[in-house]
Amino acid sequence: MDKIVSLKRLLNPKKIAVIGASQSKNKVGGIIFRRLLDSRRRLFPVNPKENAIEGHKVSPDIQSLPEDIDLAIITISAAAAVQSVEKCIGKKIPNYIIVAGGFGEVGEKGRELQEKLTKLAKENHVNILGPNSLGIFLPDENIDTIFVEHGDKSLDRNGKVACIVQSGSVGVEALGYASNTGYGMRAFVGLGNKCDLDEIDFLKYFALDKKTNCLGFYLENIEKGRQFLTAAKETTREKPVVVLKAGRTQTAVSAVSSHTGKLAGSDNVISGALKQFGIQRVYDDEEFCDATKVLSMLSHAPGSRVAVLTAAGGYGVMCTDFIEKKDKRATLTMAKLSETSKKRIKQATFPFTACENPVDITASADDRMFSDSLDVLIEDEGVDIIICIAFFAPPGITENLIDIIADKIKRSDKPVIVFTKYGPFTDNSIKNLFYAGVVAYPSIGRAVRAARFLVERTRIKYRLDQEA
Amino acid sequence: MEQKLKRWFESLGDKKHPDEFDAKQLVKLYSIKVPRANRLGPDDQFDVDGINPPYVLKVCSSNILHKTELQGVVLNNDNECVQDNFKMIQKRFPNENILVENQSSYMGPEFIIGIIKDSALGHAVMVGAGGVLTELYKDTSFRLAPCSVNEAKDMIDELVLSPVFENFRGMSLDKKKLAHTISQVSILAHDLGDKLSQLDINPIVFSNGEWTALDVKVMFE
Repeated sequence: MDKIVSLKRLLNPKKIAVIGASQSKNKVGGIIFRRLLDSRRRLFPVNPKENAIEGHKVSPDIQSLPEDIDLAIITISAAAAVQSVEKCIGKKIPNYIIVAGGFGEVGEKGRELQEKLTKLAKENHVNILGPNSLGIFLPDENIDTIFVEHGDKSLDRNGKVACIVQSGSVGVEALGYASNTGYGMRAFVGLGNKCDLDEIDFLKYFALDKKTNCLGFYLENIEKGRQFLTAAKETTREKPVVVLKAGRTQTAVSAVSSHTGKLAGSDNVISGALKQFGIQRVYDDEEFCDATKVLSMLSHAPGSRVAVLTAAGGYGVMCTDFIEKKDKRATLTMAKLSETSKKRIKQATFPFTACENPVDITASADDRMFSDSLDVLIEDEGVDIIICIAFFAPPGITENLIDIIADKIKRSDKPVIVFTKYGPFTDNSIKNLFYAGVVAYPSIGRAVRAARFLVERTRIKYRLDQEA
Repeated sequence: MEQKLKRWFESLGDKKHPDEFDAKQLVKLYSIKVPRANRLGPDDQFDVDGINPPYVLKVCSSNILHKTELQGVVLNNDNECVQDNFKMIQKRFPNENILVENQSSYMGPEFIIGIIKDSALGHAVMVGAGGVLTELYKDTSFRLAPCSVNEAKDMIDELVLSPVFENFRGMSLDKKKLAHTISQVSILAHDLGDKLSQLDINPIVFSNGEWTALDVKVMFE
């Protein structure tokens, strides 16, 4: 519990020292300092070579800092960074973010420096994030220490996904995707080299965080594998946990002579382990964002029977193919609509509407027809999930459709996932749907995959509830 | 179980590579069925007492990993030919023990159950399509050890082979019992601890209502 309290000071600090803050807008210390100006926290820049930055008086050394600083962001290079941490510990600063690389990832000397940091953290009971950390970003707290370009302006508050990433660039790309199409980010944490704080610390933190409802991890190595898995399983009883694990695991056996050893070769073991502990695995940054988005916006699927509503015939057929395709994550089936439903849809649309699922109301349809047909599908007991193919090209269909779908979702607990394309405005459409509370994707395959994530999550939750 | 394992370990000749007979005694401790067998030494008299025909004859040595490739296995021996074939194998491997085993008849496909030690996650248990082609099929699923019977059922469900448990072509194989066996093997790995490096039960088949381990290999660090 102590750790949770102290991490709160790291993620929501009142007073922040920036070691290496700079006038220069090109230096990391300059970029981070300027980002923090918007945070309305008290800032304490430290730089022996400068006097003032953007109207803030610069301290010449760590010695002259006050004693109640919550977080020091160290923006200077490796060896100097270690010395700074030592000095800051003298000023009783409890939390550190170390941005610089040049540690464990570059050889013997760097490894020694990193070990020093690990020792400092342990002996003095302080938290160190990094080194080689991209920083932290919490829209609700208005805290952003990320020095590379990312979608900070376009990410809204009230996001619910905590993203904990080991690699900077993968994380930044996820942020980019998020800001282009709408994504509810609760927090972003760049773990870097994990000299002290690691995925388990943040897993436990965000598991208890009331604003988080889904956790996503990008990990290259999981040193404390069993510990992580056990903690994740605890979390996943309440909140979905998604892991993008890159890099293949090696088996410890030098001479693998058994069949089992040869078959375990790739990363089958990690796949099995993640399943066993109720964690949903993804394989790239797009899938990572798609999965966490749907899992944070929709809670469960009552079953796996999917109804497809479309005004574009071709995409309806394609969608059926994707739904019926075999997939290890979760099996989906095309729902069989009741006779009453079919009759009602025909009445609401045209006598010639194809109602055998996919329900194709054709390009002659208008907003009201789409709306009425969606009502029928939501009310049909043989339907568990609805995929709406929303196109704004037909003359009768307007952007009012966004609010129509959003309104229905609010009043039903049947998940609705939208596939939309709108030429160069695709991203914008998806973003508008997101703002209205609707999950949308720019391809059929991704919309169907999102449905699988939801079914997979529902099964995991059911299994864990049975165990308990 | 700790005492039983200790006694088993102490009885071993080669403590790193137990032979097939000893490996089978190990899985037997975890209620996994193995065929009735005698292990005969180079100077022992031929003896099939208590074992029903047909017989399998196998060279039984921790030095020989791939006995089929070295012509160390003879199948389908009846009472008439078993002695001659025994002498033939003895001539081929004059310094090794020989296993005389009841040859089990079975229903359905061969499975493999195995254990591997992962550097980060420790022991994992595997189930898959077994037999000599197991490495070609690559139809496997893994869980960390120990794993529950329910988790083992999920493993079976993940296999391409899993429809064989749904009355496929009239087969009636007991999935629950296989899941139980997988779970037992995972507990075995957990009990043996760090020293266990790899284990193969291949094939394991459904014979007379029980999953029966026809060959077992175990390797220690």
